[in-house]
Amino acid sequence: MNAMSEHRPLTASKGNGATVNLAVAHRLEAERLIQWFGLAENLPRGEFPWYGNEDGLSLVVTGSGVERAAAGVRCLHERRPGCAWLNLGIAGHGAAAVGTGLLIHRIEDRSTGKRHWPSPTGLKLPGGNLITVSEAETDYAEDAAYDMEAAGFFAAASRLVAPDLVLVYKIVSDNPEHPLAGFRRGQVPLRFGARESEIRTLVAHLRERGSRFVRWHSLPTEYRQLLGKYHFSVTRKSALAKLCRRFTALGLEQKIAVLASKRYHNAGALMAALEAELAGAVAPGGTGSKESAS
Amino acid sequence: MFSAIYFESAVRDHPRTHAILRRYRDLPQIECERYGEIFNRKSQNFRLQKENPALILARKHGGKVLPAPGGYGFDAAGSHYFSHMLNCIYDCRYCFLQGMYRSAHCVLFVNYEDFAAAIEQTLSDPPLPKEDIHRNSCHSARSRRISSSTLPTRSCDSAQDDGVVHLPTGAGEVASGAGQVFYSGYDCDSLAFEPVSGFAEYFVPWFAARSRAILELRTKSTQIGGLLKQEPIPNCIIAMSFTTHAAAARWEHGVPAIDKRLAALRRLQEAGWPVALRFEPLLPDMKPDACGELFEQVFHRLDPRRLHSVSSGLFRMPADYFRNALKLYPDEALFARETRTRNGVVALQHPNEEAWLRQIETALFRHIDPTNYYRCADENTDSEN
Ligand code: SF4
Repeated sequence: MNAMSEHRPLTASKGNGATVNLAVAHRLEAERLIQWFGLAENLPRGEFPWYGNEDGLSLVVTGSGVERAAAGVRCLHERRPGCAWLNLGIAGHGAAAVGTGLLIHRIEDRSTGKRHWPSPTGLKLPGGNLITVSEAETDYAEDAAYDMEAAGFFAAASRLVAPDLVLVYKIVSDNPEHPLAGFRRGQVPLRFGARESEIRTLVAHLRERGSRFVRWHSLPTEYRQLLGKYHFSVTRKSALAKLCRRFTALGLEQKIAVLASKRYHNAGALMAALEAELAGAVAPGGTGSKESAS
Repeated sequence: MFSAIYFESAVRDHPRTHAILRRYRDLPQIECERYGEIFNRKSQNFRLQKENPALILARKHGGKVLPAPGGYGFDAAGSHYFSHMLNCIYDCRYCFLQGMYRSAHCVLFVNYEDFAAAIEQTLSDPPLPKEDIHRNSCHSARSRRISSSTLPTRSCDSAQDDGVVHLPTGAGEVASGAGQVFYSGYDCDSLAFEPVSGFAEYFVPWFAARSRAILELRTKSTQIGGLLKQEPIPNCIIAMSFTTHAAAARWEHGVPAIDKRLAALRRLQEAGWPVALRFEPLLPDMKPDACGELFEQVFHRLDPRRLHSVSSGLFRMPADYFRNALKLYPDEALFARETRTRNGVVALQHPNEEAWLRQIETALFRHIDPTNYYRCADENTDSEN
């Protein structure tokens, strides 16, 4: 089962929304995003240019190809872990009109045959399948979008967060009627500009879901205080987190605050006091404020 | 209800797939090779997915009919379960499904005909032994067993040397040894998805033609329109689960209100269907008085003499499912309580469990004949780990 609560970073922005990380392949795909979300470049630049704002949104420009996309995701994660990830970019398509925005439901890595399945969002946005290829597609053989990064992006990002918080959105730039050869790079910001509302919707959606996720797994402030006050082994630290979560779940935040303000001989004595308090509190009839007994 | 429909290539041309895809034509429809590609992926988050679940249409290959776990349902000549669906459109916080599956998407196996053939085959085979598994939700871990010390006197012809009395079926004479029982609501709710799945519409007439086989539909749903259109049959039991009002309001998300469920059961009973009551799971903060009020309400609406059977069962969950559920819901009071684990099964602690249960049963026996009642087996009958 999902082990995010234990192994994965849970970060929140200053505004308490979740951190959302965006990944694009090229600087031109980043242009409008930087403008809309007030993103500033972080220096030193390093291998992958990356941008961020005070609101917990970050963006990395990965470069082209599956491996670069995956490496870019990992690089941004090290600098600014995200609760949720969104890959944006332009793509060819076998049937859809140029300018169409597609929320991707299925990604196939043409070179390995591996498939990825971004979770449905419930948003009323046009969707479709995507094939990640290693060279720009000019045959458009299938009724699908073609790109060069999404499979690498999705595989890397869904190792960092639950795949339910990883999305891919592509804007059709070329198709059999308007082949790639006639596509001018300068059109990229225009294509993005026409899909501003959908992109903002997706970012907001991921931010909301990510925020809920952070809230579900959050620990009371006393947890950090107690870690600073006593020495905990790794096992005890994890046990303390579990105890703190139980207090919160049972609506006993006040009690943990009272206990945390007392002085104990050591971490073991503190844990014993917390356990004793919980045992008394969770007996039927002795539950905290959240418990309205039947 | 759903955010997308996935369908296996193998069922693309199945009439049920066509009908469902037509019904959900406005949703994304995504083809896959095998449902497991989506359903069994690692690191999925059940809780996040439950906010936007998808429906997956698939073909069931092996294991269509399985032996019912030990402690599940009545002791008939053979007990089996079959799951035409995995997961549930409701969201009960105590349900084991959230700890059992990686995905919250609902899988509907559309090849009912193959299930029917497998049931037919089972009917012609010798009875299978029961597995020894404990799972708890409203549709799980049932037993026809009760400790002899917990019930008023009863004449019982099946006392066993494990100190447990195996009760004959009360109103449902058809169930006691007359044939083999097939439980449908083990990995889902049997009726909740009926308007789309047409599950009962297909299987009830099928069982009507096989009177020695018994079908039990486990449900919290009020989707009974299809049943009411059919002639009642004695070998199809509709078993409805209830908890107290406060517990239902707090833990049973999306489930029809108790009053609505009772109205549905009453209509079924009046139409001549065998109905059964399952008071499960009993949770430690359900006070006997609140249970008493629920029983008053239930038996004001239903005729207790015409009930197939009544049962109760404590909250129980296999330890690994419980761990998974706790990881998903660390902020959930239900999982933050004191627990005990025996034989790989987690139970919620009650300081005076036996007395509490007896109080609840005493309140229940004001309304029903105790011989028509059983308490589900619990982990106390097993050795402690
Ligand atoms: S109705 Fe039954 S199967 Fe459905 S969520 Fe509730 S307990 Fe689980």
